Amino acid sequence: MHKPLKEMHPPVFIVTHWINAVSMLILIMSGLYIHFPAFSGFMGAARGVHVFFGIVIFLNCLVRIVLAFFVKDATTMGTREKELDIRNWLPQKENRHQFFPMLRWYLFMKKDYPISAKYATMQKLAYIMIAVMIIAISYTGFCLWGVTNQLAIFAVGNNLVSGLFGFGGGGSLMPMRVIHYCLMWVLIIISLIHIYIATMHGFVAWRMIFLYKEDPDAGEHVDAPAQA
Amino acid sequence: MPSNVVIDPVTRIEGHLRIEAAAENGVIKDAWVSSTNYRGMETVLQGRAPEDAYYITMRICGVCPTSHGHASSKSVEDALKVTVPNGARLIRNLLEAAEFIHSHILWFYTLAALDYVNPAKALEADVANTYALAEQAGTSTADFAAVKARLLKLVEGGDLSIFTNGWWGINPLTDPKKADELYNPKMPAELHLIAVAHYLEAIEMQAEAAQIIALIGGKFPHPMTSVAGGTAFSPNDDRVAELLYRFTKLNDWVTKTMIPDTLAIAPFYVGALEYGGGCGNFLAWGVFDRKNQTLDSRYLPAGFIETAQGLTVSKPDVGKVKEYVEHTWYTSPSGLNPQKGETKAMQSWSDSSYNVEDKYSWCKAPRYDEKAAEVGPLARMLVAYLSPDNESNKVVADTVNGALKKLGITDPTKLVSLLGRVAARNLECAVISGWTIEWCAELAAAKKEGTAALFEPYTVKDKSGAGLWEAPRGALGHFINIKGGRIDSYQVVTPSTWDLSPRDKAGVPGPMEAALIGTPVADVTRPIEAARIVRSFDP
Amino acid sequence: MAEIHKEVYGMAVATDLYERLAAHGITRRDFLKFCGTLAAVMGLSQTAVPQIAAAVGEAAGSGLYPALWINGAACTGCTESIAQATQPNVADIVLDILSLPQMETVMMASGEYAEKAGEEYAAANKGKYILICEGAVTEMLDGNVLRIAEKPYVEILQHYAEGAAAIVAVGSCAVDGGWVRAYPNPAKATGVKAYLDANISNPKKRPPVVNLPGCPVNPLEIIAVVVNVLLTGDLTKILKDPVKELNLDRQNRPKYLYGSTIHDNCERRGHFENGEFVYQFGGQAEADNYCLYAMGCKGPQTYRHCSKLRWNNNMSWCVASGGPCIGCGNFNWVDNNTPFRQRMRRIGAGVIGGPGGLGIAKAGAIVGGVVVVGIGAHALASKATHRIGKNSTLKNEEMKTYDARKLKKKGGSADA
Repeated sequence: MHKPLKEMHPPVFIVTHWINAVSMLILIMSGLYIHFPAFSGFMGAARGVHVFFGIVIFLNCLVRIVLAFFVKDATTMGTREKELDIRNWLPQKENRHQFFPMLRWYLFMKKDYPISAKYATMQKLAYIMIAVMIIAISYTGFCLWGVTNQLAIFAVGNNLVSGLFGFGGGGSLMPMRVIHYCLMWVLIIISLIHIYIATMHGFVAWRMIFLYKEDPDAGEHVDAPAQA
Repeated sequence: MPSNVVIDPVTRIEGHLRIEAAAENGVIKDAWVSSTNYRGMETVLQGRAPEDAYYITMRICGVCPTSHGHASSKSVEDALKVTVPNGARLIRNLLEAAEFIHSHILWFYTLAALDYVNPAKALEADVANTYALAEQAGTSTADFAAVKARLLKLVEGGDLSIFTNGWWGINPLTDPKKADELYNPKMPAELHLIAVAHYLEAIEMQAEAAQIIALIGGKFPHPMTSVAGGTAFSPNDDRVAELLYRFTKLNDWVTKTMIPDTLAIAPFYVGALEYGGGCGNFLAWGVFDRKNQTLDSRYLPAGFIETAQGLTVSKPDVGKVKEYVEHTWYTSPSGLNPQKGETKAMQSWSDSSYNVEDKYSWCKAPRYDEKAAEVGPLARMLVAYLSPDNESNKVVADTVNGALKKLGITDPTKLVSLLGRVAARNLECAVISGWTIEWCAELAAAKKEGTAALFEPYTVKDKSGAGLWEAPRGALGHFINIKGGRIDSYQVVTPSTWDLSPRDKAGVPGPMEAALIGTPVADVTRPIEAARIVRSFDP
Repeated sequence: MAEIHKEVYGMAVATDLYERLAAHGITRRDFLKFCGTLAAVMGLSQTAVPQIAAAVGEAAGSGLYPALWINGAACTGCTESIAQATQPNVADIVLDILSLPQMETVMMASGEYAEKAGEEYAAANKGKYILICEGAVTEMLDGNVLRIAEKPYVEILQHYAEGAAAIVAVGSCAVDGGWVRAYPNPAKATGVKAYLDANISNPKKRPPVVNLPGCPVNPLEIIAVVVNVLLTGDLTKILKDPVKELNLDRQNRPKYLYGSTIHDNCERRGHFENGEFVYQFGGQAEADNYCLYAMGCKGPQTYRHCSKLRWNNNMSWCVASGGPCIGCGNFNWVDNNTPFRQRMRRIGAGVIGGPGGLGIAKAGAIVGGVVVVGIGAHALASKATHRIGKNSTLKNEEMKTYDARKLKKKGGSADA
């Protein structure tokens, strides 16, 4: 297996990843408390925190997307060869065909680990999904937030979903609330799988993404083309 | 015999109603009562949480939502074997009492009075004599001059607003004598003016009663706190004091205005003691719980009376209730007990769909032990009057006997009549408003003793239950079956279903139909007598 | 209307009204205070109070404003509600302000005479009267599911609507079918506006519909709209731009009545922020007026002003008496808000309108559980097949020709 080198995740992405992870955790916990306040004492704080980190994660997501067009990172694991992040993020022409082998591997239908780019095709789709999910959840969140939900862009959404799901239209907030809540679960599921897969071969990926530290053994194992 | 009397729509009631009757030689020989609206409450409830039924079912009726709410909560409590704690029992009694007083005041003055009182004749009244008459009748006075001036202004304005066409096609201004023949011409103009003044005052008083409902339940219509398990209302000392103050005020008005008015007007309509009795069977589930919370110990107890078999009360058995649909627009099976009941509406309509010989109503025909039964204040008062073992017997008997004596009636069976039904409602209002004062004191004492608990927690189980209670207009039953923690089926048998029922499988007419039969109608194009019968049930 | 309006600034308030209010024990000061409440309700400054007092007094002192009140599939609760108005009370309204020859629940006439009363009045005041509609419009059996005077109600509604100057749909049933339209909508109920838009002969000429959702309507909501009309004065002005003159939002609700949530102005809001909740009825928390949010209160998502308007002559409102808000002012309020005791409606089977399948907490737990178990199983299987862990024998696949070629092109080697 390749080991991640420092070129894998430039420091700025480590920061955005941290912000993402922490915001998500706080949002999930405060959100669950807002919905099921099982114990007393925190509602004002929970709501304040929820709104604050909602805005943080939304802006962070936008920043991360923009940076993808300007920051270069490694083309694959174990290499110091760099490329614009957006190319690594979106499925590349040369690794689209790797989707099915990877799927088969995860389903135990293939023994050896398939060759892939920096991220496997499935992984890329998952990461695109995360950006889409954060934007969608943020949108539904703003549709629910009293300060913003009268703005035309969000009122339209409320009208749409309340009409679409047979709730009689009229911008009732309940359908949007349900959607906001369900999207949270989708995001939790994606995150759980992400954590599992990132960890299944040990904690090397963790060291890199959170601490900007290469695996101590990485040098020995660098077997991919180290330089262009 | 073809029908020659039609009242459609019947106004001054809750909901929509059509009356058709066949009169011959000035007397109604046959009658049909048609409920002309179906909304589907029982179907809407399916699949929802049992405790949600409280909030939804009360929307059946905007006049008696409190009673529907209580019956619904009781059905859930019956299914889950929850006993409501003492404090909640008292608060529910007070809430329901406010509902009854509100409804009875509203009924007598706003809805029914215009069948007995001629506002046009009030214009002829002499104001000074009106004060004298009020004093003589023992009823309260008002600014009679102002009321008269106000009426005059309305008439002179040429736009009669809600009184438009009120005299069945007669213009009371150009033909006052003919208009007054609809009423009793012997009734003095001064009494009409008193009644009109109190008609206006009653609007304030029914609102006062509704404010008590709002104090406990948040708002009226549709109060919100008598949830399954008890009450969500928390009676602090200020609130108990406020309740006592307000109920005292109401009680004062009922005993000093409403009852004297009733007794002053009644002598002009004694003819109404001779007809309008109806089917002669009476059913009450009872209302206002005592401490042990059994049906026959209630302040107004449960009971069934079949007058043909004598004036005795038997303990009612809900298992004997069946609902027939042969003459209705339902396609669900007929003859089911409501606990196993179904409601399925017919799905196509044609010009012949309304046919009094066949199907003619959205109202099912409930029968008790295969008999039509009248429900309402008359049934409740008769049951209490004839239940010597019940603690309320004395106060009810005293009230009824006192009224009979004042009107010079010696035979209590005369109460089974149009006038009896009207009087029973108002007398009941007085009895209940008297109890409210006791209950406020009992609540205050219970709070001191620490026996005023408000809520009994429960867990939803798959069970069935019946909430048997009374709305102001009569016996009310809610029947719930819970499956998978949700409402599997829900049936409501309202007072109107009993009283307005069409014919059953055997062709037996419903109580209102029976009451119409034998009623004299002087002019079939102006059937005010039939209207009086219909409204006496407070449909 | 212009006549009514013209002397407003001249303060020609009919002293008549004050005298009558005084007879009810309501002083001039009480009445002005009430007008102050109305001004606040309508989002006007307190300088508008004399104008409101003048408009109401003027209306009470002059001829009656033509109106008709018709009942569809209703529980009569909205009529009952207006009967609970106090300053002016319903008698003042029907005898001094609005002419209501047709209002089934209080009108004197019966049967065909009742029908005629409305019919003749509508003909005489064509294009001038306000039509107030209560109750759902039920379309089952081609509308024959509700018949009045041997006609389907839908015909009556359409007939009166076509001659009206403006329509006020009072209560949730008239606005969108209310509880009657809740799943599975057995009587095929809908709202007045939706019915008219689909059925009126010339939709462009449909009179403006003001929606006042809520179960029931609050009498102050009706009075505010009437005062709004009286203050505007000129009916042609209203007809020209009803949205602006009547200050309507996207759902045709007056903005000043439905612009903020119950929660926004709730008297228990402080307890909400402090996280002090009632978890069960009847306890100390309820006695301390703690927040009902944990009991499923729908205040935060219900646009209505109950907490400001209150009910029954300012006596109370649902939350003040201990009842969690069930969101009766929402559109399709029963489907949207049941189960009332839960924070959210159920999802799953029957989600489209129906009571729903799973509770949302249960659904989340099930899906989350399945994923966790799946991951665990995958991990165990990976371990068993020596893909992961210390004894991992996992190796990368042989590079395929395609990949090797790609790599070579870039100058790399093919050992993976």
